[in-house]
Amino acid sequence: MNMLDARMAAETSRRRLLAAGVLGAVGAAVPAIAQRTVDLHLPGGNAERTLTSAFPGKGSMILQRTRPPLLETPMEVFDRSIFTPNDRFFVRWHWADIPTAVDVETFRLRVGGHVTRPLSIGLAQLLRLPRVEIPAVNQCSGNSRGLFQPRVAGAQWGHGAMGNAKWLGVRLRDILDLAGVKAGAVQVRFGALDRPLTPDGPDFAKSLDIDHARDGEVMIAFGMNGEQLPMLNGFPIRLVVPGWYSTYWIKALNSIQVLPHADDHYWMAKAYKIPATPRANVAPGSKDFPTIPINRMIPRSWMTSLPDGQVVAWEPSIPVGGIAMGGDCGMAKVDVSSDGGRTWYRTALGPDEGRYGFRRWDGRVPLRRGTNAIMTRCWNTRGVAQPATPIWNPGGYMRGNIETTHVVAA
Amino acid sequence: MRAPSTGLLAGGVIALTAIVLVLVGAPHDRPSPPPRAPSATGVPASSVGARGVRLTSTAIELPADEAIFPEGPRSDLVNANCTACHSASMALDQPRLSAEQWRATVTKMREVYKAPVRAADVDAIVQYLVGMPGQSGGAPSGSAQDPAPNVPPSRS
Repeated sequence: MNMLDARMAAETSRRRLLAAGVLGAVGAAVPAIAQRTVDLHLPGGNAERTLTSAFPGKGSMILQRTRPPLLETPMEVFDRSIFTPNDRFFVRWHWADIPTAVDVETFRLRVGGHVTRPLSIGLAQLLRLPRVEIPAVNQCSGNSRGLFQPRVAGAQWGHGAMGNAKWLGVRLRDILDLAGVKAGAVQVRFGALDRPLTPDGPDFAKSLDIDHARDGEVMIAFGMNGEQLPMLNGFPIRLVVPGWYSTYWIKALNSIQVLPHADDHYWMAKAYKIPATPRANVAPGSKDFPTIPINRMIPRSWMTSLPDGQVVAWEPSIPVGGIAMGGDCGMAKVDVSSDGGRTWYRTALGPDEGRYGFRRWDGRVPLRRGTNAIMTRCWNTRGVAQPATPIWNPGGYMRGNIETTHVVAA
Repeated sequence: MRAPSTGLLAGGVIALTAIVLVLVGAPHDRPSPPPRAPSATGVPASSVGARGVRLTSTAIELPADEAIFPEGPRSDLVNANCTACHSASMALDQPRLSAEQWRATVTKMREVYKAPVRAADVDAIVQYLVGMPGQSGGAPSGSAQDPAPNVPPSRS
């Protein structure tokens, strides 16, 4: 069983059904419609979104918001490769004043604060430093927020506010060493070219603890899947924080400030906070609870070989496949079930391209006539498994439970 | 990525030293001159490169968003205040939220993001948001639990 098998089987099923006139009645697989809108299947409705190719450097994307752009990757993109193409990689900006032009000759990355030698680094200089390449998943803190129940306010993402790329760049540690971090440094704050639209609005910036910033994995990337970064993904350079949520992966990075104290600005002190509880879970409606800044990612897995609601011709069993991630470590195992979680089947894992990236899985499950609830469950290399029940928190952060895809055998 | 020139390769040898030497005064928050866009006039966009990687100056034009909030009581006020900073779709694509949740959002826009919304207009804006398409019907959507089934121990 491999990815090709799963794809060919899916195509064969579709063709048989098209020939039998079954698919047209369902609508989900009619290409003309699929070109224009997508249903994210969010509970409670208001889930239809437009597909757009209007954004520079981007192919067909789910339009969540035009200004500032929120673009979601359609799930079928994840079925084609464990690396997400740059032109299908999700986009998320906070303020509408985002960089639309960068001159690579005049751009400077400034390093200052609690350092002995403040630096202003040009891109030509950055390109001459020792390099590192890390495949890593970049996932929005609020990925899958639209699936929270009860629903919460915010960008109503399906599962596509994530992507996996090969990031090429330099170690943040090397830059900090060049600047000479002074004793007593506590955090490092990262700022960017985007700006608030209001004069007193909080400029988007995020901070990492000094030890994390110097761990040799956090990097400044100028390459993404072998190309320069798309403008909408942070050209010319962005921070890459393997294993951590995307809020820390500052795009269009132009400022690094070493702080002799914890960052008390809005985006660290008040925003992107999760409950200080196991799995960031609180009872729906809770408001007053201790919080901490969101941090490490958790294991997740999805079936991608068939879209939710797909009708297929019945056969005793079908190949299924998808992607999984370990979160802040490698991915160890994926199981799949087609009876709503009563019986689980082991899957075969694709090549390990790096512990922070996606991993392909493929398997086969029995099919019953009618609706089949296909579930995937993964374990990471720390032994953490995806739980069955979803969490809730008011920010809609850190969803990681077992996901279900419905396949109808006609 | 394109191949580097020999000159750039040679430059790479003195990399670390070079970087430390190029200290440009006190760093300031905003980079300066507006970048040159890659021109449509046939002049190639500027680029820098070293060690097999080349970065090319880039300029993009973002699509305009002319969509506005649908006609309704005080929709003029909502369009004037909300779409100054973000697309109407940000609000229109929300699940059904209670008046209290919408008020919290408008308050956050004013107090955190410093949107110049007059205090006197907040009630009318909240009223519009609660009643706009996709919201009417009142009660917040969603049940307390996913339809996720109980999952017995794995057999694999």
